[in-house]
Amino acid sequence: MSEIDVGLGILDHQLVDSEGRHCGKVDDLELERVREGRPRVAAILSGPPAWRGRGRLGRLAAALARGRLVRIPWEEVAEVHAEVELRRTAQELRLGRGDDRARRFVERIPGASL
Amino acid sequence: MKQIFAIALGILAAIGGFVDIGDIVFNTAAGATFGYELLWAVVIGVGGIITYAEMCGRVAAVSERAVFDAVRERLGFQVGLVALISAQFVNLMTIAAEIGGVAIVLQLLSGLSYRALLVLAVLALALVLWLMPFGWIERVFGYTGLALLVFVVAALKLHPDWTQVARGFVPKAEADNLAVYGYYVVGLIGAAMIPYEVYFYSSGAVEERWRPKDLGINRANAIVGYSLGGLLSFALMISAGALLLPEGISPEHLGSVALVAEAPLGQIGLILALVGMLFAISGAAIDSAFAGAYNLGQFFGWEWGKYRHNAGAPRFTIAWALMLLVGFLIVVTGVDPILVTELSVVFSVVALPLTYVPILLVANDRAYMGSYGNGWVGNAFGVLYLLIVLVIAVAAIPLLIASNMGQG
Repeated sequence: MSEIDVGLGILDHQLVDSEGRHCGKVDDLELERVREGRPRVAAILSGPPAWRGRGRLGRLAAALARGRLVRIPWEEVAEVHAEVELRRTAQELRLGRGDDRARRFVERIPGASL
Repeated sequence: MKQIFAIALGILAAIGGFVDIGDIVFNTAAGATFGYELLWAVVIGVGGIITYAEMCGRVAAVSERAVFDAVRERLGFQVGLVALISAQFVNLMTIAAEIGGVAIVLQLLSGLSYRALLVLAVLALALVLWLMPFGWIERVFGYTGLALLVFVVAALKLHPDWTQVARGFVPKAEADNLAVYGYYVVGLIGAAMIPYEVYFYSSGAVEERWRPKDLGINRANAIVGYSLGGLLSFALMISAGALLLPEGISPEHLGSVALVAEAPLGQIGLILALVGMLFAISGAAIDSAFAGAYNLGQFFGWEWGKYRHNAGAPRFTIAWALMLLVGFLIVVTGVDPILVTELSVVFSVVALPLTYVPILLVANDRAYMGSYGNGWVGNAFGVLYLLIVLVIAVAAIPLLIASNMGQG
């Protein structure tokens, strides 16, 4: 299987950081060398702005949602199985920030760690 | 031994967890209107939930994906989003119906005002979800819901005409009002196959890290658990058919459902019926709120899980809290919860193919399933139920209108 097959096979799969944290989906892919006829996956794109490349509803959803685009170079991918495992933590890759923001809010409520 | 014990406990929880307000409403209404004639539709519905849940549990155990992981991977972002929105719309209506149902049962138990009890119900549910470890929730609500078995005793005590009951298991459509008959067929199948149960079940399987060695438990839970749950549906329909049909009572209120247990068994029957309904419906409210949060977490790739502490899966936590809040806002407008229940079941039938199809595809995909893909039995049932689901999905809304929601 070539890298491009692996790349297309992971579209919409779960991203997991080096500590096992769920930190977004493979929302889109950045390809390179398409013109030369030797396409290669350069990076995984994650975050609402990446939905713009996913059809009309994707564009609409991207316009309505908040959140930044995160570009994860292909070199950061450690392993691909049911999930796409990354080499570094979500924090280092600036992923999972929606959960971080929500956590700061939820933590203030008594009993949050139950 | 320990394994058998675990299986038995899972099955017990599945029985208590099978019945929710949709089953209660449609089974007693069908019994009060058509006697035992529609028992066959419950058999079809139970077969459907067994087929679908077994498949989702197996996909979860082998491919480590819950329903909305598979939906997004198979359907892509756009169509997956449509599936998500329709599933969440149905989930919200289901939650609204269950919260309303909890308040009605509390009202029957206490005599306090319905609106005040709605507030109490939603606060109590939120507190239980926030504070109680999930293992406890499952036991308290699953096992207490077993009080509904009182309807099995009631059905026996009412001495129904068993030849008539047996005839009810043979499908036929010779009723005077075919639109109403068809509406109840859709409702009974839809109530048994209500989709939140499958979202919840498959997500739990992923969380508990089921692997192929757990496929026996999956099969036992699905087949035995849901069949015994179906027994409760039979009991509700048979006792309603034996008691309410001859009296000409139509159960537009959950109070007449409890009456079905009170008439043959007295006070104790009434109390067991109300307690069983209270906990079964509360458990369903909890499961459907979780199901909504699971779907969002899986579609968008958040941290999710009922075994995580609240701050460990923060957006998941906010999601179930918001689902409960919106469900509450729907019923607090004063809309009749029985109406919301019927609509939620009918719309769930319409939305069902959008999650059923991708699961059937994944269950047949060797890349996901290896040697654990659907065998010929799994595919025969899988395809048969896909056809049934498609037919009832197309027929659901026309029948809803033609039958004036079963009123004729």
